Amino acid sequence: MDPFVRRSYLVVSPLNEDELAASWTHSADAVILDLAGPVPGARKAEARSTLAEAVPIAGKGAAEVFVRVNKDLLYADVEAAAAPGLRGIVLGGAGCAEDVARADAMLGEMEARKGIPEGHLQIVVLLETARGVWNIREIIAASARVSAVGLDEPALGRALGITPCEEFDPFEYAKGRVVIETRAAKVQPVGVSHPYGLLPRFDDADEIHRLALRGKNLGFAATICPHPSWVEPVNRAQTPTEERLDFYRETRRLFADAIARGTAAIPYPGTGMMIDVPVDERARLTLELWERCAARDAEKAEAVRQASG
Amino acid sequence: MTRRVRRSGLMMPVNTERFVNSSWLRHSDSLDYDLEDSVPQSEKDNARAVLPNAIQIGQKGGAEVSVRINVAYPEADLEAAVRPGVSRISHPKTEHAEQIRRVDAIITRLERERGIRPGTIEVNAMIETTLGVANSYEIASSSPRVRTFSPGTGYDMSMDMGLEMFVGFDQFFYNRGEGELIAMALGQNRAGGVYMSDTSGSVTDGDRTLEQAIANRKAGFRSGGGLHPNVVQPQNIGLTPTPEEVDRARRVLALFDQIDARGEVETDLDGEAVDAYEAARARELIEWAAACARRDAEKAAKRAASLAAEEAAGG
Repeated sequence: MDPFVRRSYLVVSPLNEDELAASWTHSADAVILDLAGPVPGARKAEARSTLAEAVPIAGKGAAEVFVRVNKDLLYADVEAAAAPGLRGIVLGGAGCAEDVARADAMLGEMEARKGIPEGHLQIVVLLETARGVWNIREIIAASARVSAVGLDEPALGRALGITPCEEFDPFEYAKGRVVIETRAAKVQPVGVSHPYGLLPRFDDADEIHRLALRGKNLGFAATICPHPSWVEPVNRAQTPTEERLDFYRETRRLFADAIARGTAAIPYPGTGMMIDVPVDERARLTLELWERCAARDAEKAEAVRQASG
Repeated sequence: MTRRVRRSGLMMPVNTERFVNSSWLRHSDSLDYDLEDSVPQSEKDNARAVLPNAIQIGQKGGAEVSVRINVAYPEADLEAAVRPGVSRISHPKTEHAEQIRRVDAIITRLERERGIRPGTIEVNAMIETTLGVANSYEIASSSPRVRTFSPGTGYDMSMDMGLEMFVGFDQFFYNRGEGELIAMALGQNRAGGVYMSDTSGSVTDGDRTLEQAIANRKAGFRSGGGLHPNVVQPQNIGLTPTPEEVDRARRVLALFDQIDARGEVETDLDGEAVDAYEAARARELIEWAAACARRDAEKAAKRAASLAAEEAAGG
């Protein structure tokens, strides 16, 4: 899958008009219109019927738009969601490859029917069961559409009989497994550090930033944002800071000098650190990531400007 | 399996003459000559050319010699590296069992051609990427030459995981768990270490290294390695039991033998339990201390002989 900058997924209920109307203004890299959690059973059809209008609204700020579908209403939800403005679906509750293959086939059918380029629609998998966590490798391998995987921590907690508490993270192993298996398969790991995956709060940007950054430093590349207040600190946590950029620019300069002198192992002056090939490579990748983040932010800002004007 | 004493392993670019020339004086149990990431692309041929001489120099202080090859050039690198005096080949960034099987086959041919006892050269299948972690079991069990297995941590791994290191918490706990379980399940030596907070990223800090080595030994680890001469002796010292520990272990063993003879299973020494488990631990500690002492004597003798020979040649 091509590298993409998708740091934040903002979750919005399509039934909440105010939330929906403002969804494109928060600078989220992606917006998830959620047909599952916030929509009661009796209003599923109503929520589905909003999508034709809601998808374009959510995308006005150049966010990639996803729809979270109900596993047991998969066909109806996918059929309602699939439209040229859609980037893909969020699929909860997959336990094995077959669950993903079924969604893959439906997305293929909708692409053919609705004039969407073949293979365009992606799947973001959220694991809700121990079985899903265990089978993560076959789940990812089941479809080339799978572009990201994370845990649905509250659902997984319910499935495992866990009472959430702040003091310890019951999903250390599961998160480690998600990071390793997604990155090994070159798809995006999605998550946040404990306790905000299970016990989120919305009023403390510093803490959101701290936990998103800690999540990044566990290997996650994106965070699902249950509230607009998360988007800015999450984007910031996943974007290299000026201080790191200076450090990496200097790394590259020092290493290029060393190579010219015929060595690829030199100390970083003023520290006990060493620079060799992977250190230089890290510097290059980080500077490149920053450029892609900046380009994505400019793209969103321009879209917001045009939509507002 | 007799455990090789490899408390320290100093790694250096083999094309840097001044590092190599003094490498045998560093007291390292193992010297790891690098053809890979510390050697610039333009120097790869030269590095292969100077390797045989480095292997001779390395042995002057009684160190074992290992060579880290490039994933991209296994044939050319092994052609240069597999020769008498080399005990181990490090294969970096291993992601598939097939890579190790291929290296094994080349080594097998070269051992035969070059008069090296078949099967003696070990392969260190280094795990440095997430795909390597995911495929660890297949990799670790791909060849009988893999006798020690280390979890994937460190710089390359951090890059593949997209994280910044030295942030003060353990970012590789899953990798450690996988790697250690696999090593033990396969009856191999588990290498690596316990997590200790490090926010400096220093590769030269001897005090920190000593503290880490002591913690590693208490968690059952027996080997280390590093990039700077400063960390060699701290690892040798930290991974060797102290005389006090050996003395206490002897007392535990003697006490256990007494109660065992009386048909009892448990007693205590200064308030701490003594039983079959503690006796086994004490025995292992005494054996390990003896192996370390033998290794130190061996290195000291080799070093003294080489210094004497140099003096004779020089004078």
